[in-house]
Amino acid sequence: MLATVPSATLLGVDGHPVIVEVHVSNGLPTFTIVGLPDTSCRESRDRVRSALLSSHLPWPSRRVTVNLAPSGMRKGGAGLDLPMAIALLVAGEVLLPVHVEGVAFIGELGLDGSIRSVPGVVPLVDAVTEPTVVVAAGCAREASVVGRHRVRTAPSLSSLVDCLRGRQAWAEPPIPSIADDNPREPDLVDVRGQRLGRFAMEVAAAGGHHVLLTGPPGAGKTMLARRLPGLLPPLSPAEALEVTRIHSAAGLRLPSSGLLRRPPFRAPHHGASAVSLIGGGTAGMRPGEISCAHRGVLFLDELAEFPAAVLDTLRQPLEEGAVRISRARASVVFPARFLLVAAMNPCPCGEGSVPGACRCSETGRARYAGRVSGPLLDRFDLRVLLERPDVAQLLPSGTGDVGGIPESSASVVARVIECRIRATERGVRCNAELPAPRLDELAPLAPAARTLLESRLRNGRLSARGLHRVRRIARTMADLVGRSGRLEEEDVCAALLLRTDPFASASVEP
Amino acid sequence: MPSTASKGADGALPPAAYAAVLASLPGTGPIGLGELLREHDPHTAWELVLRGDAGRSNKRIADRPPGPGSREAPWSVAARQVDVAAHWRRLQDGGIQVTFLGDAAYPAPLCQDPQPPGVLFYQGALATLDQPRVAIVGTRRCTGYGRETAFALGRDLARAGVSVVSGLALGIDGAAHAGVLAALDSSPDGAAGPVGVAASGVDRPYPRQHRDLWRKVARTGVVLSETGCGQPAQAWRFPARNRVIAGLSEVVVVVESHVRGGSLYTVDAALDRGIEVRAVPGPVTSSSSAGTNQLLWDGPGPVRHAGDVLDVLGEVRPWPPPDRPDPRRLDGSLDDTGRRVLGAVDQTPTSMTVIAERTGLGFGQLSATLLRLETGQMVRGGGSWWERTHP
Repeated sequence: MLATVPSATLLGVDGHPVIVEVHVSNGLPTFTIVGLPDTSCRESRDRVRSALLSSHLPWPSRRVTVNLAPSGMRKGGAGLDLPMAIALLVAGEVLLPVHVEGVAFIGELGLDGSIRSVPGVVPLVDAVTEPTVVVAAGCAREASVVGRHRVRTAPSLSSLVDCLRGRQAWAEPPIPSIADDNPREPDLVDVRGQRLGRFAMEVAAAGGHHVLLTGPPGAGKTMLARRLPGLLPPLSPAEALEVTRIHSAAGLRLPSSGLLRRPPFRAPHHGASAVSLIGGGTAGMRPGEISCAHRGVLFLDELAEFPAAVLDTLRQPLEEGAVRISRARASVVFPARFLLVAAMNPCPCGEGSVPGACRCSETGRARYAGRVSGPLLDRFDLRVLLERPDVAQLLPSGTGDVGGIPESSASVVARVIECRIRATERGVRCNAELPAPRLDELAPLAPAARTLLESRLRNGRLSARGLHRVRRIARTMADLVGRSGRLEEEDVCAALLLRTDPFASASVEP
Repeated sequence: MPSTASKGADGALPPAAYAAVLASLPGTGPIGLGELLREHDPHTAWELVLRGDAGRSNKRIADRPPGPGSREAPWSVAARQVDVAAHWRRLQDGGIQVTFLGDAAYPAPLCQDPQPPGVLFYQGALATLDQPRVAIVGTRRCTGYGRETAFALGRDLARAGVSVVSGLALGIDGAAHAGVLAALDSSPDGAAGPVGVAASGVDRPYPRQHRDLWRKVARTGVVLSETGCGQPAQAWRFPARNRVIAGLSEVVVVVESHVRGGSLYTVDAALDRGIEVRAVPGPVTSSSSAGTNQLLWDGPGPVRHAGDVLDVLGEVRPWPPPDRPDPRRLDGSLDDTGRRVLGAVDQTPTSMTVIAERTGLGFGQLSATLLRLETGQMVRGGGSWWERTHP
């Protein structure tokens, strides 16, 4: 007796269709799983047996072979429990093939027969070609995000069998939620003072420029960085699905609607390993933090405390927007197009942002500055030095409020979206991605701006690569004030001053 | 006659060639070499070393017991393996010049020195030493305050026509010379060149971070060393180098020094030679200034700015020099925005954030104005901080 049931398995952030085949034949009672199952998959045997017995369903005391096709690909996870149980029931003629026709199953079984959710439901369901898919009740919304399938749920194996047989009605399908229930990011209105920092955040969001914030402890670096996702436009439907797939595959908590509509914000601690950042692992091929920050913000606080080897793994993904992880058994590509924000102190004592203020030795400062490699430092378009805000700004007096009420994120987002639209018209997602060969056409220079850049290039204060970056930033500056066409001198000046060497006072004499 | 003239008409090598190989022999100490060359010209000295007779005519060497530890044997053994002509050619190809005790080009201040270097290798122009010379020395582990002060002293002394002598080390030494180079950049004709005294061979820049500085000093002034070419700096070379710094200078200024800093060797050498020593006072809580503050307690007077140093040199002039541009006149050439931005910049480093808060200008306009003020040399800075150049 043979039965086949479709399901899916996860590799990286992609689901792959799997056919679960069960063959029951005469012979000594055995239960074998073939087709490269990993450990958690091999353990299915005991869960399936207990679940069937607890649900008062028959367990065939005969020779059972389970094959997971295609057999060349390694299968992991407990999501194949449910299809195995259903295939056994079909092979044992408890269910008829017609009952499961066109239905795929994804779920883990409890020993009591309950159906549990598994990580990666979004990519798994996406891989399923059947019109109907059965998942655990807990991940019904997540499964319906894909939108191509009829999503069915059941609390337990016995009730699922009743539903399939038509003896019981299916549970109501989840109503696709339109409401945006994504948690709100903190607002820029909370930031007092910090005109430079706020402006840098706006430019970073508008042009997609990576930004390095340096400054003494307590200057508000982390506070500003956490407000950056709130300045980004909401994700487009395609982007939302892409990001949700990654988060689902990584087993991260999704909003209750199942769909991430806001750019994600990830802030790994500096103890992070290289694999946890870029993704990988021997068994699972889990996406790393940089992929979880795809289309969002990756925030590396205390950048200098990250091991140099870990930081340098970021260089290639920063350029390509994706990372290919190759292992002996498999090779996967994780999308990783994120906005990098990093924060660090200017020197070990933290006070050296302005010459003369710090107590560190020359060598100590040089060593600290050396922790971030030149190539990585170069990838930060914006490098901004922050200072602690004044007392007057922290505690504005009732009468003469300094600078009035700070601007809120909402009004900044409006300008950011304007900017992004202009970038889209140029054929890129944001100005940071403007290709160098097209800069002359897309970011032409006014005569004064050209003279300024020429003199900088000539006296060695600007490199060729720096020139491209400065022009891209200047493009964003001009876009922010709504000026298309040529870049004026002030755009270029602002770009130059937002891209200063954070360790200048450590290495260059005044 | 220049000491580095190439081969004479008869094909013989110039004396400097023999001086250069003598200095490059293993185990050549500065004192022994100095004494040898004080008594003999380089060619004779070379012959003596080759024969193993150098000790017979030199008391210091002769007084030593023979056998291991005597420098006689290694000298003459090594000397026999040296091709003097090839060595000389290599030096000339590398643009390295040589002078020796008794040579016409040998720096005059060192002729009277109690322990003169026997041979000096140099790159650049020895004429730099014809100006008044002031050494600016200090710790490698300096604070921002020390770096600033050394830079300002170097810059202002160079502008006043004083050659700044220093050791090309990290920290104070480097900052002083960076100041000199800044002065040369802004007024190429009106400033004196720097004098760098190295502990390694002149073709072996040390520390590596200062390779650029080293090259610039050689181009605009002179880098000299008594260490043979190609030889790295050994620890004992540094105190020996410091005695040359002291010997070359008319005043030694210590900017920052720890309690047992290497710059105090320079001070001792200067005091032995009767050369004026001055120190820059520092905070009593700063360990980087503990050595200089101790020095001030012991006697040498303080230095606040280049004017004080010029005073020691016997050139009393008003300080700051009145020839600096009048800020009011500069203000007149500014528009409203320029004046507003200039008003927001302090004389101490002021951060961009603060300037932005104070002016309230848009960032583009503010940046453009600041860079224009920088071009007009009314402010200077690194982008993230700025300071006014005039009060």
